[in-house]
This record gives sequence, C-alpha cells and structure tokens, in this order.
Amino acid sequence: MTGYFVRRFLLIIPTFLGITLAVFVVMHFVPGGPVERQIMRYKMAVATEGGAAAGGISADIPEDALEEMKRYYGFDKPVHIRYAQWLWNLVHLDLGRSYIYQDPVWDVIKSRFPVSIFLGLTGFLLSYVVCVPLGVFKAIRHGSRFDFLSSFLVFLGYSVPGWALGTALLVLFGGGSFWNLFPLGGFRPDNWEFLGFFEKIVAQIHYMFLPVLCYMVGSFATLTILTKNSLLENLGQDYVRTAFAKGLTERRVIFVHALRNSLIPIATGLGHVIGIILAGSFLIERVFNIDGMGYLGYTSILQRDYPVALGILVISSLLLLVGNILSDIIYVVVDPRIRFR
Amino acid sequence: MNQDAGTSRPELPPIAEPETATGRPSVSLLRRRLRKFRTLKRGYYSFLLLLAAYALSFLLPLLVNDKALFVRYEGQWYFPLWRYYPAATFNQPTLGEPNYRDLAQTFRQQGGGNWAILPPFPYSPTESLLDLPGSPPHPPSWQHIFGTDDRARDIFARLAYGFNVSLTFSLLVLAISYAIGITVGAFLGYFGGKLDILGQRLIEIWSSLPFLYTIIIVSSIVVPIYIPGRNLVLQPSFWMLILILTVFDWMGITYYVRGEFYREKAKDYVGAAIAMGASDAGIIFRHILPNSLTPVISFAPFLIVGNIGALVALDFLGFGLPAPTPSWGELIGQGMENLTKWWLVFLPLAALFLTLLLIVFIGEAVREAFDPREYSRLR
Repeated sequence: MTGYFVRRFLLIIPTFLGITLAVFVVMHFVPGGPVERQIMRYKMAVATEGGAAAGGISADIPEDALEEMKRYYGFDKPVHIRYAQWLWNLVHLDLGRSYIYQDPVWDVIKSRFPVSIFLGLTGFLLSYVVCVPLGVFKAIRHGSRFDFLSSFLVFLGYSVPGWALGTALLVLFGGGSFWNLFPLGGFRPDNWEFLGFFEKIVAQIHYMFLPVLCYMVGSFATLTILTKNSLLENLGQDYVRTAFAKGLTERRVIFVHALRNSLIPIATGLGHVIGIILAGSFLIERVFNIDGMGYLGYTSILQRDYPVALGILVISSLLLLVGNILSDIIYVVVDPRIRFR
Repeated sequence: MNQDAGTSRPELPPIAEPETATGRPSVSLLRRRLRKFRTLKRGYYSFLLLLAAYALSFLLPLLVNDKALFVRYEGQWYFPLWRYYPAATFNQPTLGEPNYRDLAQTFRQQGGGNWAILPPFPYSPTESLLDLPGSPPHPPSWQHIFGTDDRARDIFARLAYGFNVSLTFSLLVLAISYAIGITVGAFLGYFGGKLDILGQRLIEIWSSLPFLYTIIIVSSIVVPIYIPGRNLVLQPSFWMLILILTVFDWMGITYYVRGEFYREKAKDYVGAAIAMGASDAGIIFRHILPNSLTPVISFAPFLIVGNIGALVALDFLGFGLPAPTPSWGELIGQGMENLTKWWLVFLPLAALFLTLLLIVFIGEAVREAFDPREYSRLR
C-alpha cells in the first residue's frame, strides 16, 4: 500500500510538468501578450502626440527598442528555452516578478491568502455542518413532507450557479431597490483597523454572509444528496436487518451502525479541502468584488500578467493533485476494506 | 410501487419476472427502462415540456419578431419575414427596412384594403426601441411585459431567443464531446494496457487545466464576428465557442465509458464476436457500445446543465457569444452594472432556473429509471 502511494506521489511530477507546459505554450502563442501590449501603448502615445506633429513621426518602434522590450519580458528566446528557464527558477522557489505590480509573484499571491483561506474554509466547514445532518434527516424521513420540501432547496442548488444566485442576492439585499441589509461587496469594511474584537466579528459576518452562502450553494445539492443516498443504501443492507433483528433501538441502528458506513464516501471529499481553500470561484469573487485568489488569477490573465497567472496555476494544480491523493489516503484510513495496489 | 404489484398478484413471489410467467413476450432492457421513465411523472412531464418548448422556440421568428409575416399592399403579396423590402416599396419615407408595426397601423388608419399581419409579439430581440418614453432600461410594462435592457431591447424577446440559443449551444457541445469522449473511452477500455495508462495520464493533465482560465485565454484569440441577418448557427464565432467548450468537456464521459468497456469486454458475447471474426471497430461500436450506454444516457442531462451554466458564465464575463446575440448571461451582466434595475437580473435568472430545473428533473428520472437499485427502507 505504501508503495502505491509513493508511486502516486511520483506521478505528480509528470502530470504537473504536463499541466504547466500546456498552459505555458498557450500563453506564449496567444496574441496580445505583454510585448504587444507595450507596443500598443507606445503607438497610442505616438498617435495622441502625433496629432500636433501632423503624423510626421512613424508609429513604428525602433528595432533595438523592440529587442530590448522582448528581452525584458523574456520573449526573445524560443518557447522551450523559456519554459526550461521558468522551471529552473521554480525549482529554486523563484516565481518571478509580476509585470503589473512589479513585486515578486509570491508576495502578490501571498497577500491574497487570508481572503481566500477565510472564504474557502468557512464555506467548506459550513457546507459539511449543514449538508450532512440535512442529508441524514432526509434519509430517515425519506418520502415525508420535510423531505419533499427540502428537496426543493436541493433542486434550487442544482439549477442555479452560485455566482448567479449572488447577483440576485445583491439586488435583493444590497440596497438597490429592495432591502439594504448587506454591503454591496468587498471583504472587510474600510475602518477595519479601528474596530474592537466583537465589532470585527460582527463586521466580518456582515460582509461575508452572502458570499459564503453562494459558495455553499455549489456543494449544497451534491453533498446533501450524496449523504442521503449513501445512508439510504446502507439502511437497506443485511447488517441493518440483523441489527434490528437482535433488538437494537432504531436510534442506535441508524446513528451507530448505518451512519458510520454511509459517511465513507463523504469523508473522501475531505482530501480536497486543501484545494478548495485556494480554488475559490473567481465568479463569486467578481460578483462580490472580493480580492481573493480567484479574482487575482482572472485579472492576471486579462492583463497578461503571465508570471502571476503561472504562479497561481502552480499552487492550485499542486494542491489539486496532492488533494486527490489525500482523498485516497483518507479513503483507506476510514474504510479498511479498500485496498489500493 | 413494487409493493402494489405484489399485493395485486399475491401468488407470485416478488423477485420473479411476471412477464414470462404470464406468457407475455419478453421486453428489452431499454424498453423496460423507457417504460419506467414514463412512470416517473415529474421527469417525464419535464421532458415533454422541455421538448415542446424547444421545438416551439424554432418557430420564434413567426411568434416574436418585428417583421411582418404577410403584407397585402396595392393588390400584391409581400413576405417580409423571408425577403428584404426597402421602405419605398410601401411608399414609406424612411430609409432601409420599414417599421412594420407603424406600417400596419398606417394601413389600418387608411383603411384602403392594404393590411399587414405581424407576429403576436411584434418586437425583435436585437431591435433597440428608441421611441419608448424615458431612458433605457425600461421597467416592465403592459406593452413590454419584461421591460427592456440597457439598449432598449425587449427582454421577453431576448429571453425567448436566448432559450433557443442556450439549448442549441449546449446540445451541440454535448453531441461533439460525446462523439470524442465515447470513442476515446471505448478505445482505452477495449485495448487497455499501455495505451490505457498513457491515455489516462494525458486525460488527467488535460482535465487539471483550469477550465475558465483557458477558455478566457483561447477566446481572446477569437475575434468576435457577428454577421447580421445570418442565422446564428452559421456564425464562425458560435462554432469556435462550441469547439473551445468541447475541448474541455469530452473527458467527463471517458471515465465511465472506459469502465463499462473494461467490464463488458470480458463477457461471452464479445468472445463470440471475436470467434466470428468481427473487427475491433465492429466489436467496439456494434457489439459493446450498445451495451454500455447507461452512463452515456444518464450523464447527458447533467452535462447539458453544465454547458448552459458555462455559456451563461462566459456571456456574463463578456467572453461568450458575440454582441447582439440574445443571451441570458449578458443580461445578468447588465444587471450587475444596474443593481437597482431588478428585472435585468431576476428575469434571466428565472429563465435559467426554470430551464435547468426541468433538465435536472429529467436527469433525476433518467438516473432512477436506469438504476436497478431500489431504495427499500427496512422497518
């Protein structure tokens, strides 16, 4: 078994190389890269000044300046050499400098960690706290009115993407034309530093209520139904019949015998917690104007800030790959019947 | 449901197949599943409703449009929906195409045997209604029941056409990514060995690429082209977007098909086919594939939901279909810019929700019809 997981960890390396190489190559050949952006900016400047000079200046950049610019962004070398160089720096834990912020990429990304971790972790914990009991209750009361009504919520979760629900919540509670209950966006109020401890808690809940709700919608439906179906399946098993037959109380049969087995597929999702923390949905962050990792990645791609985009890709893909293995390890730990070879 | 059948025929044990016992002809598995699907009322009626709505949405130019269906003018017939007539044809002072709503009214006032028949909802989804009082977006009114968007285009018309666009788009992505995904999954599962290992690694790499990032990168290459007057399906950028989404969509089904093929290829009928001298392609597509369609069918509704969601998200961000295309996501994006104009957000969201809800209902019913397990609570 140890051998299996060692092999799995070793397989991360080729997969990781494949992912980064693919994105690197796409980024190299996509038009509108940093060099072209600089040229555009130069031409715009010439065009506005050239109005006075009556078009006397050529809008072309001198050859040597263009070379200089390409060298600055590293675009003077072929793509495989650039990739090798980037990889070499990565091994030395150097992600390069952001084109936009002019800071080391790691610092730029690090500054977004608190926001993303806060959102991801709260959403993750809350969805487990809500969905698992709800799923259990729905399974026990399968076919009841409560089951039926809560299914409506589940279908809502299936049918509306979290970010889209966010826009509706903002219209409803953001003070547009209905109630003014929650702020329109942002992570924390501007006067955060001056607040007392309890005020901080209240303010944080006030700002994060809607975004976290939207985060939860994504997993709400799947997690609740997974719990419900898993428990229902176990309740139909022979060992439950045996447990009833030997006279155990219903409570004991459900919560001690059946529930433990039906939590196995849910426990395996826990491995992805490390990924969830950083994989935050940039759509939700965009809707609520929150400066998290997702939004950083989105803007870095739009502005062709390739070092930052690649840095985020490195972190998120490593977390995803490790999270996959972690899930399998948890699977083995909670269910001794599982054997990986 | 099973218990009912058991009580009406108490002499039969519940496990026995009543079909053969009563001498009725045996029914194929697929037909039995279809029959089960029809008994699941919620899913079945959702399916019928969605099918009818989608079929109807192809007739939208006849129902929701600003062009007249027929014009009778000076003893002659005109068909503006199918042909372009300059305004001068009807002795109108304006340039370009006449405003058929005004034309119909003028004809009525003149009362001289000329008339024009307009669609029941005479507004086009791409037409800016500049003569409305006030500034756009206009709130819902009796004339424009869903109001107008920030370019004074009727929202009802845009939602209706957007339904057709979203569903067509999603079905095309589904069809293409299924064709690729099923073939790849089938080959991996059937041949196995080194091909399987290599293929799975490549798929793992491919599926780990951040989906939306890459779409944004790739769609920034694509210059949005929209040729007015041409059917949306013929637009190059429409197909480009379908291609891009397919590139990320085809992998989901490969896992399931691969697993099915691994299981099926060990069965006797495959051995029989090999002994009869069937080719590999023949065995894959003629013998095994029809027997491994369960995941393919039960996966489809959820893939459609995913595709519609992706299209709406891309349109919302401004990377979706080119500008005047009627789209739900674009409307939600407008609503984000005008948070006080609730109809810009709620109405497209309601359309999205209802459509996806129907598909989810269908998906649930399909899954139940194809799932042999019965959830029976003990005690």
